[in-house]
Amino acid sequence: MIQKINDERLKRKNLENTRILFIVQTAGIIGILGYELVTKGMDEMTGNPLWFLLILTGIVSAYLSMSISVDHESDEKSPKKGLLISLAASSVIAIGFGAAVTLTADLNTGILVGAIVFICFIVPYFYLYYLRRKQED
Amino acid sequence: MKNNVKIARVQMDMTQAQLAEQTGVTRQTISLIEKGKYNPTLKLCLAICDAVHKSLDELFWIDKEERTDDTKNK
Repeated sequence: MIQKINDERLKRKNLENTRILFIVQTAGIIGILGYELVTKGMDEMTGNPLWFLLILTGIVSAYLSMSISVDHESDEKSPKKGLLISLAASSVIAIGFGAAVTLTADLNTGILVGAIVFICFIVPYFYLYYLRRKQED
Repeated sequence: MKNNVKIARVQMDMTQAQLAEQTGVTRQTISLIEKGKYNPTLKLCLAICDAVHKSLDELFWIDKEERTDDTKNK
């Protein structure tokens, strides 16, 4: 029968083992995708579900790293000021993207692309804002 | 890190297995703590203190000089 591990040392060891497993798995996924890229080309590689898994893992990893980065920030930044600057920068980039797309496609597509770019930028910025606010408490 | 867990355990006439059972860890963990090869969390330190009826100071306090020597030896 499997028993729940209560020993803190073994729990830690388990986590360390999981880290090794993660490295092996990631190396495997990159290897498989690399092989697909070389033998079948870029489209086949991005069509593979493993590609989606790799991207998803990358996004989750980036979000998890953000909390570490916020804790590591040496100077106390004002969360609100940071968010406002980020929002302004995101707006400029989104408008730029939207305008560039409008030149080659129609206005609706331009607005859609601009909105998507804007959302993609502001979600992590709001998360950073939330983390910095939490850190202030 | 060096500690007095082994002395306190022997004084209480306990085996490593008994101490392990009381503190909810494995015997190997107790063995590693006694050898100074594993640094337990404060929670486990307190559980050990309760089991051997000693204070945290008595079991785990080390003078600053000794601590520095310990780090240099590693």
